[in-house]
Amino acid sequence: MKKLFTIVLLVAFALLANMSLVTADMHDWWADAAAPYAGATIRGVSESTPPSNYVADVLAAQFTELTGINVEFETTSWDQMYSKAINDMEANTGIYDFVYIEQDIIYSYLAQDYLVNLTSFAADNPDLAYEGYDESAFTSFADYFKNADGDLFGVPMEAFVKVYLYRKDLFEDADIMAAFEEEYGYPLAPAESFDQYADNAAFFTAYGESMDMDLWGTTVQGSTGHPASTYEFLESIGPSFGLYNWGINLDAGSAQSANGGALDGDTAVEALTFWLSMLPFAPPEATSSTWDEVASSFAAGRAAQGWVYGENAAWIATDESRSAVTGNVGVRLPVTAEGVIEAAEMGEGYIGYYDGGAFGIPHSSRNKEATLLWLQFIGQQSVQAEWAAAGARITHTATFDDPLIAEQDAKVDGYYTLLEEQGPLFAGAPPFPFHAQVREVIDPFIQRAILGELSPAEALSQAAMAVDEELSRLGYGM
Amino acid sequence: MRNPRTGWLLLSPTLIILIIFGFMPFLYVLVVGFNEWNIFAAEDGLRFNGLDNYRRLVFDADFLHSVGLTIRFAVFAIASEVVLGFLLAQMLTRKFPGKSLFRIIHTFPLMVAPIAVGAIWRLLVIPGFGPVPFFLDRYFDIKYQIGSYPEQALLTSIIMDIWHWTPFVTLTMLAGLSAIPREPVEQAKVDGANRLQVFWYVTLPFLRPVLLTTVFIRIMDAIRTVDEVWMLAGGGPGTRFTGIYIWRVVFPRTDYGYGSSISLVTLYLTVVLCWLLFIAISGRRKGEVE
Repeated sequence: MKKLFTIVLLVAFALLANMSLVTADMHDWWADAAAPYAGATIRGVSESTPPSNYVADVLAAQFTELTGINVEFETTSWDQMYSKAINDMEANTGIYDFVYIEQDIIYSYLAQDYLVNLTSFAADNPDLAYEGYDESAFTSFADYFKNADGDLFGVPMEAFVKVYLYRKDLFEDADIMAAFEEEYGYPLAPAESFDQYADNAAFFTAYGESMDMDLWGTTVQGSTGHPASTYEFLESIGPSFGLYNWGINLDAGSAQSANGGALDGDTAVEALTFWLSMLPFAPPEATSSTWDEVASSFAAGRAAQGWVYGENAAWIATDESRSAVTGNVGVRLPVTAEGVIEAAEMGEGYIGYYDGGAFGIPHSSRNKEATLLWLQFIGQQSVQAEWAAAGARITHTATFDDPLIAEQDAKVDGYYTLLEEQGPLFAGAPPFPFHAQVREVIDPFIQRAILGELSPAEALSQAAMAVDEELSRLGYGM
Repeated sequence: MRNPRTGWLLLSPTLIILIIFGFMPFLYVLVVGFNEWNIFAAEDGLRFNGLDNYRRLVFDADFLHSVGLTIRFAVFAIASEVVLGFLLAQMLTRKFPGKSLFRIIHTFPLMVAPIAVGAIWRLLVIPGFGPVPFFLDRYFDIKYQIGSYPEQALLTSIIMDIWHWTPFVTLTMLAGLSAIPREPVEQAKVDGANRLQVFWYVTLPFLRPVLLTTVFIRIMDAIRTVDEVWMLAGGGPGTRFTGIYIWRVVFPRTDYGYGSSISLVTLYLTVVLCWLLFIAISGRRKGEVE
């Protein structure tokens, strides 16, 4: 017995020693590889989101401690991030060594050749290639940041889907369930159809009013002063009705139905009509809400259900210092029209938005080597789990199996499982090299429809015409 | 005898800076305005398109709407600021308890950066969180939603601008009032003029240069307003002023050629507006000399 105990102790000691050696080796590798750049400062810019804030607050400090390379990371508003990054890359000023590349803008950046090919850059600099960083470890979301040859231009740092969130405490309350069933003649449940969604929305709005509660039936990301409203319509509501690729037919160079587009088609009008019909059941801040305010409204308990970006799911469900609905958040697939899920399963469409982004190195960067080390640091498997738990984002296949994520998954009602299993039903933005240009053209029409100045059919008809004019001006039109 | 070369030599640093940072960018914008240039177009680079950009803006309903909104914003905001600023300046020429404290507090908004002013007002008026919609709803049954009602967004922008810039007008008016000699005022009173007549025939003519300068500065500021309003309402309907429209065309849309032409036309409109105002306030006519 004593002998066995000694053997177990020795084995444990050997394992511990081995682990500490591996860790020491890892530390040595980062220090050695970064030695020529120690003391340098690399600068980056990104949108202020939970995953980005984790990078700024946690990962940057860890990297500096390992390498001596300082990371200045600017987290700013979405609009500012784009204009700062594009101005810097276009003017070749070299202010930023790494920039956030949202999935929807990658095609524009690649078309302009703004970004360094990370795969070949690492291959050309073997001394900087960290063995713990493996491009094949990323989920298929990384494919959005690859060229036709499979070379990577951005290290994925966030990836999530826009899901349907609902308040379990309301949906599972016996009195509320009885009241709903009495009024509508069927049981209260998370919505699986648009009619059911509308019933839920109307019911909870009336319920909130009758109980003198600050409660409404749904979120609507309907800001009339921000592109967020256009995004919710084109990337979440539209696809759930079967309107894909913003209704723009790139081959035909048109958004108009008459020319092969679909932005002014029946499906689009039906989708916009439904979405606008939800406004009376949304909190009063809905017409001033971007994705951030929608998450805040839901976290404040002001909406019974809604479409919320998944990056917010974790903190809404678990962070008591910021959320009033912790422990009561239900997560489901967004509602879809008949046949949409089947089409998505067959690869002929998608049900909603697979959002996310990556960090890339602009050609204008003056510190490409040091930045490559940084990107490999954030792209290695070992930092992923805690980052995923904090930011509800997963970029590595193996992260789904991490015990920390399994634990978090239970608290967020299976959000991570949904992301893993149902994620392929969602899709990123269409591969347009003119993303922001065309979206800017559509914005005013969606905003005027929200204000009631245009009917859904008028708004989309005028938007489709304006898109065609812009496509023509940009050289992508008919 | 003075050597003119010395004068030019002393002026040269300023002139060089002015040429590099003022005149050259203006020339650049002028040239770009005659070109089609969008970095995300299929064909990159500048393509000369003559007056197309200018023809386009004449028929651009969004641009024309933004000009109309900007003029409404400028007229209501500046008129209110001038009236309020004058009344406050008059008040500050007199003695009253707590005058020093009032003058300090009254000047506070001037010290706040425009972006912070926009953020403060957004927090005040955002439905669901801000106190203004809450109290208006609770006590007056008024639905105050700047995202849903463009007129409310415009009104809020005007009130925000008045809050921010009235102290500036007060200070310039105070300086102007302090510089008015006592004799003409006393003479007018001795001659039997009432307060309104003193104001109209003595104070106002003396204040005219200060008034003109103040209004010019405020017009130029109001027409190029972006940051405050951007923070408040994001430039949605009701607040999509010309400055914000230009920003949207130049940055997210990266339509540099068209954005340049709009910028130049806006500059031209500003100059014309200031000139018309100069004529109106100074009362100058063709051929008149000072």
